Amino acid sequence: MAYQLYRNTTLGNSLQESLDELIQTQQITPQLALQVLLQFDKAINTALANRVRNRVNFKGSLNTYRFCDNVWTFVLNDVEFREVTDLVKVDKVKIVACDGKSSDYFSHSSLIIRPRLFLTQ
Amino acid sequence: MASSANSNQVPKLYRSVIEDVINEVRELFLDEGVDEQVLMELKTLWENKLMQSKAVEGFNTEEQAALQAAAQQQAQQAQQATQQAQTQQVLLPPQQQVTSWQSTRPTVTSAPQQQVIVQDPKILQHMSATGMNAATTAATLALPTGISPYQQLITSQGGNLPQTIYLKTVDGQILQVLRAANGTQYIIQPQQQMVLQQQVLPQMQPGGGQAPVIQQVLAPLQGGLPQVLAPLQGGLPQQTGVIIQPQQVILTGNKVQQNAQVMQMTGQPGQVQQIQQQVQQVQQVQGGAAPGVPQQQQQPPMMLQVDGAGDTSSEDEDEEEEYDEEEDEEKEKDGEDGQVEEEPLNSEDDVSDEEDQELFDTENVVVCQYDKIHRSKNKWKFHLKDGIMNLNGRDYVFSKAIGDAEW
Repeated sequence: MAYQLYRNTTLGNSLQESLDELIQTQQITPQLALQVLLQFDKAINTALANRVRNRVNFKGSLNTYRFCDNVWTFVLNDVEFREVTDLVKVDKVKIVACDGKSSDYFSHSSLIIRPRLFLTQ
Repeated sequence: MASSANSNQVPKLYRSVIEDVINEVRELFLDEGVDEQVLMELKTLWENKLMQSKAVEGFNTEEQAALQAAAQQQAQQAQQATQQAQTQQVLLPPQQQVTSWQSTRPTVTSAPQQQVIVQDPKILQHMSATGMNAATTAATLALPTGISPYQQLITSQGGNLPQTIYLKTVDGQILQVLRAANGTQYIIQPQQQMVLQQQVLPQMQPGGGQAPVIQQVLAPLQGGLPQVLAPLQGGLPQQTGVIIQPQQVILTGNKVQQNAQVMQMTGQPGQVQQIQQQVQQVQQVQGGAAPGVPQQQQQPPMMLQVDGAGDTSSEDEDEEEEYDEEEDEEKEKDGEDGQVEEEPLNSEDDVSDEEDQELFDTENVVVCQYDKIHRSKNKWKFHLKDGIMNLNGRDYVFSKAIGDAEW
């Protein structure tokens, strides 16, 4: 299972809203919508890992930090985001970051230990 | 300048994600027995929302690119028509009779007092010069582009009866503009639910007269974007009177609420006379203000006033009543003088952060994964990856981000 982190983005929210509309009109079931979202998680994680290749630098002042359940949450003020081409300045930004080393591949589903049969003859 | 690299990347990336997801779930949909059409609908909804959010630039499907091209063509045609129409407009000072140019107008009735409205997709200008109303003035009706009329049918009766102007909009709806004897104007549009607010801004013309300029703010309830029309300046005649009174205009749906100024509108021209009789009665009742109209803004809007905002009477009454009540409550609660002007005593307690620091509505958010977070005393270093950012309303992505901050 990939991180569900990206559901609260423009892309993810628009998908969720669209799914909600279809559920409202009973064109799909909530279960199916959930499956779609799971598929979205996979797709966006893969896309970001493979299809994006750019670097960004940023600088600002740290207002708050939080580390809980292996998730960092920061609030920064007066931040400048710099890419090669341009500069974006914001007064306040919230950064939510999940652990990049281990995704949910190793968390939820794998904790259920599947019994393995060793056939020996 | 926008980030050329990033803004090229983001739409493509999103598009590829959408395609991937849709293709992957097609099987899921079929397994559940859901029609392919629903899948297409999901895709369409998704793409539309992305476009509406304006977080992504240049996000167009091929179809929508074609639609946009078509829309641009239409816009060009409309502009051409506008230019043509403006050259055809005949503007007369209010006291003149209209008879001289009756033949050139697309009028319906043969009544002696008639009005002329020149075709204009964007701007509606009409002159009225009834024999009975010597002081009748010409007003410029600026209709929002969404209701651009291209054909007007005009009927009018003499004397104190209100004049009715029918505007047929581009999509076939019939707008009815009733102009009563005292100059109050109502626009009735039965099909749509919109709230139209007009403000009259008197402006000085070079010639010295004052010409009312109408600003309309159209705020359709279905969540469309409000449109603000620039006031018309060119071509306004020298005027003395003002047809349009500062009252709020509310467009109605199919029903009409109980309002002294609201008239039954069934959407049929045949009801005009009935309506005009009611208008007569309304004129008698009308005390010069719109008693119920401003209140109805919160209820399903019914009537459209052309004469702008700035109501008096009941609005003030209600506000005064509410204000008094609040003041009484405050007095009781505080148990002191409870004057509203003084600062509340707890205003200096607690240092709390201001919440409204953003210039834009969006909270700037970055969702990503962290490679390494490092801290030395109060110096923090962030090594992030695979992130989506929404900054100042726009979307960006990165594969790596490195940051510094002091706490």
